[in-house]
Amino acid sequence: MILEGALVYSNLLAMLCIGLTLTYITTSVPNFAQGSFAVFGSYMSLTFLRLFSVHPYQSIPVVFFLGGVLGILVYLLILKPLIKKGASVVILMITTLALDLILLGFIGAYSEFLRNITGKPSAKFIFTPHDFTFNGLSGVLFVSTFLITAILIFLSILLYKTKFGIALRASMEKPFLAEVMGIDVEKMRIFSWFLSGSFAALSGCLLPFRQEIVPATGSIIIVSIFAASIVGGIYSLAGAVVGAYLIGFSETLLTFHLSNLFGVSVLLYSRVISLVILSLTLLLAPRGLTEVKFRWKFFSALRSGSDYTR
Amino acid sequence: MLRVEKLNSGYKELHILFDVDARIDSNTITAILGPNGSGKSTLLKSIFGLANIFSGKIYLNGKEITFTSPHEKAKLGLVYLPQTENVFTNLTVKENLNIAAYTLKDDARDRIELALNIFPELSNFLKRKAGTLSGGERQMLAMAMAIIRKAEVLMLDEPTAQLSPKFVDMIVKKIVELRDEHKMTILLVEQNAKKALEISEKVYILVSGRVAFEGSAQELLGSGKFEKLCLGLVE
Repeated sequence: MILEGALVYSNLLAMLCIGLTLTYITTSVPNFAQGSFAVFGSYMSLTFLRLFSVHPYQSIPVVFFLGGVLGILVYLLILKPLIKKGASVVILMITTLALDLILLGFIGAYSEFLRNITGKPSAKFIFTPHDFTFNGLSGVLFVSTFLITAILIFLSILLYKTKFGIALRASMEKPFLAEVMGIDVEKMRIFSWFLSGSFAALSGCLLPFRQEIVPATGSIIIVSIFAASIVGGIYSLAGAVVGAYLIGFSETLLTFHLSNLFGVSVLLYSRVISLVILSLTLLLAPRGLTEVKFRWKFFSALRSGSDYTR
Repeated sequence: MLRVEKLNSGYKELHILFDVDARIDSNTITAILGPNGSGKSTLLKSIFGLANIFSGKIYLNGKEITFTSPHEKAKLGLVYLPQTENVFTNLTVKENLNIAAYTLKDDARDRIELALNIFPELSNFLKRKAGTLSGGERQMLAMAMAIIRKAEVLMLDEPTAQLSPKFVDMIVKKIVELRDEHKMTILLVEQNAKKALEISEKVYILVSGRVAFEGSAQELLGSGKFEKLCLGLVE
C-alpha cells in the first residue's frame, strides 16, 4: 500500500520535473508556478467531471492540451517580453513566484465560481471514489505508470529519432549556434513550454486520485518538484526522472516510518525530507546526481545519454 | 555578392564598428585582418545579425538583409562559422551533420555526402559525440557543417585558432578547395595574417573598428604599411 502510494507520487513528480527541466534548459526560467500548473489541471479535470460528468481519466487528452495552452500563454505573454528586455534569472524567478500567486488567486476564485454553478463544494476535493481497482491495486497506479512510460518513450523517440527533436536538443545546448544553423529557436522554446504545461496538467489530472487538492496545493508540491529536479541535475532530463523517483520514494517511505515512530504529526513535515536530501546533494554533488562520475556503467550511460550541460 | 555600407554596430550601448564599408565578390576569398579588439569578429556577427546594428546597410545579392533574422539569413545562403562553440558537443557527429542540413529539403543526403567526401576523416567518427573530438577534428566537423548548409557566402571566424600546425595547413588547404572546386565565396577573419594573405584575393584591415586598408594582398605587402597596420598603428 505504502509502496503503491510512493510509486504513484513518484510517477506524478517525474511528469512535473521533466516539464520544469525542459523549460529551464530552453529558456533559463526556474518556473515556481509549475505546481500551480498542475493544480490548474486538477481543476480542469474537476470541471469536466462536475459539469459534463466526464470521468477524470477520460478528460486527460483535453486537460493535457489546455495545460499546454496555459504554458504557451505564460511564456508568450509574460516571460518572453521580459527575456527580450534582458531580464536576469532572478527576475524571471521572481516573476514566476508572482505568477504562482496570481494562479493561486485565480484558482481560488474559480473554485468558488464552480461551487456556485454546480452547488457542490470545490475548494477541496479528491477523486479516489472515482478510481477503479485491479487485483487490489488502485487504478491510478496503472494509469500513472502507463503515462510516465509513454512520456519517456515519446521523449526518447522525439529527441533522438526525429529531425525536430534533434533540433530541439541543439537549441537546448547552444541556442546561438542553433540559430546560426537556421533553426527557429523561438519555435523550440514555445514547444517546450507547451510540453511543460501539458505534463504538469496531466500530473494534476491524476494528483487528486492520490491526495486532497486545494487551490494552494501547487505552492506545497513545488518544494518537492524543485528538490527532485536539482537532486537529479537541473540541466538533465534523465536527472529529472532520477531525482523524481528518489525524492518521491524517500518522502513517502521515510515520512511513513517516521510517523510510526513519532506519531502522525510528522506527516505535516514530509517536505522537510526533500529539503534535507536537497541540502545533502548540494553539498556533495552540487550539479546533481547524474553529473557525478559514477564508475557504474548504468549511471554513466544515463549521464551521457541526455546531458545538456552548458 | 555581399555589400556592407556605412555600418555602425556593437553590443547594446557599446559602439565597436564605425562607418565600415566592404564589398565581397563572388567566388573569392576576402580576408579581414587587424589587431585584437579591432572589431573583426564583430563585423561577421553584425553581418549575420548577432550584434546590434546602429546604422548602415547590408546587402546579399542586391537584397537588403540588414535586419533579417539570423535563421532567415541562413536560409538565404549566408553561413557563419563561429570561432569557438561551433559544434554541438552533446550531439553525435552524425546528428551535427543532420542539424546542419536542417533547412534543406530534398538534397540533404547529397550535401552530407559531399561534406564527408571533402572531410573523409569524419566518416570514422559518425557515432561519436562531438564533445569527444580533438580541436582539429571539431574544426573539420564545423566546416563540414558549413558546407552542408549550401553556403553562398561562408564567413569563417579564425578557423585555425588553437590548432596544431598540421591541422592549420589542412584547414587552409580546404578553404582554398571550397573556393576553387565548390565555387564558394569566403569571408575569412584570421589572426594568422601570413596564411590569410597567401590565399586571399582581397584584404581589409580593421583598426579600432574602422577600415584602415582595403586592397589586394600584393597592394598591402607593397605598401610597406603591413606590419604597422597589423599592430594597429594608423597614420
